[in-house]
Amino acid sequence: MSVSNKKGLDYWLPKLVVSPTVAITVIFFYGFVIWTAVLSFTKSRILPQYEFVGFDQYVRLFLNDRWMGALTNLLVFGVLFIAICMIVGLIMAVLLDQNIRAEGALRTIYLYPMALSFIVTGTVWKWLLNPTVGIERFIRSLGWDSFTFDWIIDPNMAIYTIVIAGVWQASGFVMAIFLAGLRGIDTSIIKAAQLDGASLFSVYTRIIIPSMRPVFFSAFIMLAHIAIKSFDLIIALTGGGPGNSTDVPAIFMYQFSFQRGQLGMGAASAIIMLMTVLAILVPYLYSELRTPKNG
Amino acid sequence: MAELNIDNVYKSFGETHILKGINLSIQDGEFVILVGPSGCGKSTLLNCIAGLEEVTDGRIVIGKDDVTHAAPKDRDIAMVFQSYALYPNMNVRKNIAFGLEIRKMPKEEIDAEVHRVAKLLQIEPLLDRKPSQLSGGQRQRVAMGRALARRPKTYLFDEPLSNLDAKLRVEMRTEMKKLHQRLGTTIVYVTHDQIEAMTLADRIAVMKGGVVQQFGTPQEVYDDPANIFVAGFMGSPSMNFLNCEVTESGGNYAVQVDSEGRIFQLPIDPKQADLSQYLGKTVILGIRPEQITHVMPHVEAEPFVTKVPVKIEVTEPTGADTLVLARINDQECECRVHPTEAGKPGEMMEMLFNMSKAVFFDPETEERL
Ligand SMILES: Nc1ncnc2c1ncn2[C@@H]1O[C@H](COP(=O)(O)OP(=O)(O)OP(=O)(O)O)[C@@H](O)[C@H]1O
Ligand SMILES: [Mg+2]
Repeated sequence: MSVSNKKGLDYWLPKLVVSPTVAITVIFFYGFVIWTAVLSFTKSRILPQYEFVGFDQYVRLFLNDRWMGALTNLLVFGVLFIAICMIVGLIMAVLLDQNIRAEGALRTIYLYPMALSFIVTGTVWKWLLNPTVGIERFIRSLGWDSFTFDWIIDPNMAIYTIVIAGVWQASGFVMAIFLAGLRGIDTSIIKAAQLDGASLFSVYTRIIIPSMRPVFFSAFIMLAHIAIKSFDLIIALTGGGPGNSTDVPAIFMYQFSFQRGQLGMGAASAIIMLMTVLAILVPYLYSELRTPKNG
Repeated sequence: MAELNIDNVYKSFGETHILKGINLSIQDGEFVILVGPSGCGKSTLLNCIAGLEEVTDGRIVIGKDDVTHAAPKDRDIAMVFQSYALYPNMNVRKNIAFGLEIRKMPKEEIDAEVHRVAKLLQIEPLLDRKPSQLSGGQRQRVAMGRALARRPKTYLFDEPLSNLDAKLRVEMRTEMKKLHQRLGTTIVYVTHDQIEAMTLADRIAVMKGGVVQQFGTPQEVYDDPANIFVAGFMGSPSMNFLNCEVTESGGNYAVQVDSEGRIFQLPIDPKQADLSQYLGKTVILGIRPEQITHVMPHVEAEPFVTKVPVKIEVTEPTGADTLVLARINDQECECRVHPTEAGKPGEMMEMLFNMSKAVFFDPETEERL
């Protein structure tokens, strides 16, 4: 009797302990996702209401010029941000992998930006990029009077300033991921390649980097979701301006839902963003969980 | 093809000294086997020869070229790594072809070469698999294939057959021997397998603690060990070591053994050792189990053979022979007898001690006398 009692406790205790977490996740995460999805099919304006209008909000969304502009910006920002972060991160990782001195210190320095909040990064870069107080003024004070670096107030170029700040913040982190990947490679593989006659360059391009595919994939996923959700960096750096020139879906969603009384359309844009993230994440999780790791 | 001279090579990692003055002069086309306990520096030595580790001191000369500071790729060496070191992103075919591609061999020749070694190593069905989809023994054969596809001056093999099943290992051993006879390339080969060492080697180098203890033909190393370590390391089951007192009997030196309270004199072949300095002192007698057998009339008549009754403690049948553990001079002593002759534990059994190949060591220095 006592044995079966004990079994019962062993069986229920773990479930009991995790149940608050599960409940909170279900309600506040999946619950609100579902609520948002529901709202995106309603006529909701300032306050939620439940008069269903099918895909009307989605149609309105994609007819909205600001939304299309935000999507274009996201595309430009996302592609550049991910590509540059990966390239810079990889180069830094390979350089740091050459058994240099003070590697630990350098690694930490490169990683520090990631410890900052995007708001801080945004604010610092806003000052740096401000023509009247930042880099432009500094260079001019050195004597180059005609030097101009005013991308942040140029509607055509402002989106690239966000790329700069984003890369500054995230590439150290990407470097750390790549460095871990490089370190995970058995050194005797490199030795074998050297004996086979490969130069250091071809050792990296033909063996090491190709065998880090999973690492690239993880880095890509993380950067992609930072890009899609980017909000605070842009709010702090440009506030979406000049004009709407650095608008992205996250800002669009926030402003339409909570400032312009277009809750239905805001919800629709949120769902589109969620779908985008899922479209990237699901194949990733699928491949990670299904195939055995390459070794 | 070229001779390989390892000249007083030292290697330290920081304060840990791994190789302490290795001297080996290996002739062109020689098959040299390196043996020694785990951690004695065999792989480190191979890495130094290949140029993957910079030597701390000393020189490495291949042919006429001093390659001590040459890059690995300029030494014209192919190596099989203990950890296989296959390229994880390439399938088996690409793994084998990589070194040939880098050396700009024409495509058709590469294909032909890949198929030749794949056939030799019985890995043809695996050519399109990735290393992660192979078993340990299959990976090991791919690693071999990668080395054998090339025609370097020198091959270095670090335990290349250790992970194969017994049958395949014997087959591959034969292939190695044939390969060496065909190509005549200089080979340095590390193994823990006694039979591999004895059958493949032209010469065996026995290492311990970063020092070469002995470098000689298999028969020399087996019959004429330089010290107790080599004597005990080579041969399975291992040589018996018995502390015995040296006496004189009939103008001949002998060692005295005690079996169950009875004293016997085992006369010594003067060709084996001069023990005049040790009369009345203790030496270590080294005698291999196959030199202590059941009574066989044709052996009994030979010189330096003595009959001693011993008490059996344990018997270990191995199939072909039975090993009998007896007690001599209060020390364990293994004897090798025909299975039908072996007695039972606890019984007394007469054994013939054949001293014609016995060796003697100084108990202090453990060096050969
Ligand atoms: N990079 C290194 N740094 C410090 N010590 C090392 C390094 N590589 C090897 N060693 C040490 O050198 C010693 C010899 O290693 P090595 O790999 O040559 O042994 P081995 O004779 O090949 O042994 P095994 O038969 O187990 O393969 C070991 O004690 C090992 O710990
Ligand atoms: Mg080793």
